[in-house]
Amino acid sequence: MMKLNSTGQVVLILVAVAYLLGVYFISSPVWMGFTINALIVAVLALSWNVTGGFGGLSSFGHAVLYGTGAYTSAILQVTYGVNAWVALVAGIAMAAAVGGFIGALAFRYGVKGSYFALVTLAFAEVFRICAASFDFAGGGSGLQLKLAPGISNIQFADRTVLYTFLLAIVVLVMLLTAWIKYSRFGAYLVAVRENEDAARALGIDTYRIKVLAMAVSGAFGGLAGVLYLQLWLFIDSSIAYGSSVSIEALIGPIIGGAGTVWGPVLGTLGLHLIGEGAKTLLSNAPGLNFVLYAVVLICALRFMPNGLVGLAGRIGPFAKKESKDA
Amino acid sequence: MDFEIKRRTLLKASGAAAVTLAMPGILRAATPTVKVGVLEPLTGALAYNGTQSAAGAKFAAEKINAMGGIKSLGGAKIELVVVDAQSKPEIAAAGVDTLAQQEVCAFTGSSSSALGLASTQAAAKYNLAQVVSIGTAETIVSRGLANVFRFTPGINKCTSVALGNLQKLNEAAGHAVKTAAIVHEDGPFGSGMAKILATELPKQGIEIVETISHPTPQRDFSNIALRIKASKADILIPSNYLNEYTLMAKAIHQQRVDLKAIYSILGGAASNIKFVRENNAIAQYVMDCNHWYDPKKEESKELTKTVAAAKLDLTYDIMVSYASIQLIADALERAASTDRQKMIESLASSTFDKSIMPYGPTKFVHGDNVNSQPVNTQVRGENIELVFPKEYATAEAVFPIPASK
Repeated sequence: MMKLNSTGQVVLILVAVAYLLGVYFISSPVWMGFTINALIVAVLALSWNVTGGFGGLSSFGHAVLYGTGAYTSAILQVTYGVNAWVALVAGIAMAAAVGGFIGALAFRYGVKGSYFALVTLAFAEVFRICAASFDFAGGGSGLQLKLAPGISNIQFADRTVLYTFLLAIVVLVMLLTAWIKYSRFGAYLVAVRENEDAARALGIDTYRIKVLAMAVSGAFGGLAGVLYLQLWLFIDSSIAYGSSVSIEALIGPIIGGAGTVWGPVLGTLGLHLIGEGAKTLLSNAPGLNFVLYAVVLICALRFMPNGLVGLAGRIGPFAKKESKDA
Repeated sequence: MDFEIKRRTLLKASGAAAVTLAMPGILRAATPTVKVGVLEPLTGALAYNGTQSAAGAKFAAEKINAMGGIKSLGGAKIELVVVDAQSKPEIAAAGVDTLAQQEVCAFTGSSSSALGLASTQAAAKYNLAQVVSIGTAETIVSRGLANVFRFTPGINKCTSVALGNLQKLNEAAGHAVKTAAIVHEDGPFGSGMAKILATELPKQGIEIVETISHPTPQRDFSNIALRIKASKADILIPSNYLNEYTLMAKAIHQQRVDLKAIYSILGGAASNIKFVRENNAIAQYVMDCNHWYDPKKEESKELTKTVAAAKLDLTYDIMVSYASIQLIADALERAASTDRQKMIESLASSTFDKSIMPYGPTKFVHGDNVNSQPVNTQVRGENIELVFPKEYATAEAVFPIPASK
């Protein structure tokens, strides 16, 4: 699944694993609750990592994929009474299709860099307005799933079971990410990130690789959206396509280490832990936790250019100067 | 200088210190407390409403505690556990975890339907009662959750009462209003309202000549004002939040849009004294149908003074949150227990009629208080006056806006 280059990375991952397993033993609904939220965001972060991390295709509008997955599943369940599992698959497929479409359209005309980021941002906003305007998407009122706990409806009455389910999904998406990373496709994607012209000169069909990356990223992002829907049973245009979703998608990988398998998960968990810790620490001053959160974020960006994984990679006897292999 | 500490002296001093240190605990034991949760968006897009609501809950708890606390629990003082929902549904739901861990007996919140939908569902897993202070979406009370108690009216009741009152006003004015423009935010609240208005206004003989939606936030209302002006609508019915409402009203004033009335339903700023204070000329005669207290009640008058002393704006958020804590306190008094199930049963059988709201005795049917009602307010001078229903009114409604305005 990964090549670890330093004691620091091993320790970092062991701490994360210990935390994720520790949630089973800490009888705290608060920790369980916020870790559940963090796991859904981690799936979204892993989605962004495919394009932004491996391919260097930084998106500012991953909400479009997240929201499409959620809305597809919600429309199918609410309007057509489709089973939740079937709707989940449809949500993933539709988000992958939308990702592929945006990629095909943008890359066909050579859009890259910050222009690509703006295109994705624009798509997310267009989808948000459409979701708020069209009746079939619930209009401004959003869509509400019926509360019907049961595995057949992907609604878990027991939070430990829900947590296990989400943890399994995160592990699955990480395994797929690792497979991508070490596959020929992943190598092509990294080649595109490092030097697209050189990659093209070597015979790589860069257009096809980038579109495929968007589709795969769409599938992961759509999955995250469906998971959110199944957890809270309600979405509206702002929840699904809001800019905060896009920010959450990219911030985890950047802090954790973009282009790595563990980075997006570690970054997301770390940020949520800091947020929760700040909230507990400054409970009498709401809003100040965001200030502390922002300070940590700025420091992380300043002192950890390769994220947590990069920093950990510099610690230990076998440390490399720059590492992206975790 | 030499100090000799004898064993007996040391024991005496230690004993005295131990008693002193234990005193707060002993005092705490003498005055029991009961924890009540307040789940509000103290940060994020709804921070203003959430902060106001939290203040309302605090004023109510202070008042109840000053009156002797919960007598059936030995005069237990209400201790509020305030949690920030951050204006996000998933954080609101996570906030319920915190409240459950803090062992609150019930809680109130949370300023918007999206937050309320998430928090009530999360609370259901703990069998924890939530008194929904503000949450107009009907889905909040249509999911069959036994722990949900919406104290204030939902969107259906607010709209039907508002339209009924508009019809009465228009009839009394000899059908001065014949055309309407609707401006609404494109979220659940505004869009839902626009849909209802599109169906109901034509039944009153009012033709809708313009419907304009806008996102939140929206900073430039010039074009929207010009479109309203071009439509020559008699009445403007806005459904948007505080900042957008204020900017829209300013743009309408700047573009000299000639309207016979501005009539809001759950308007973002129309019942907000800050809007009236800062935009007094623009705000004159604006009407709203919204949550509001009964200004004639003594406790309402006291609350007005308390809010002024705290240098806060008296908004419906404060009033509703205050009343929600009153309702929870009454339920605690009757339940004589902090047990969650007993609190749910106590709230379900509540016939509380002493809140500051202009409501009849509380009666929850499927979690919805059927005896709640919105009222009509109108900005007059420096004040927001209640104009409908008549039994609570502090002024006569002025409709349409006088020509000199």
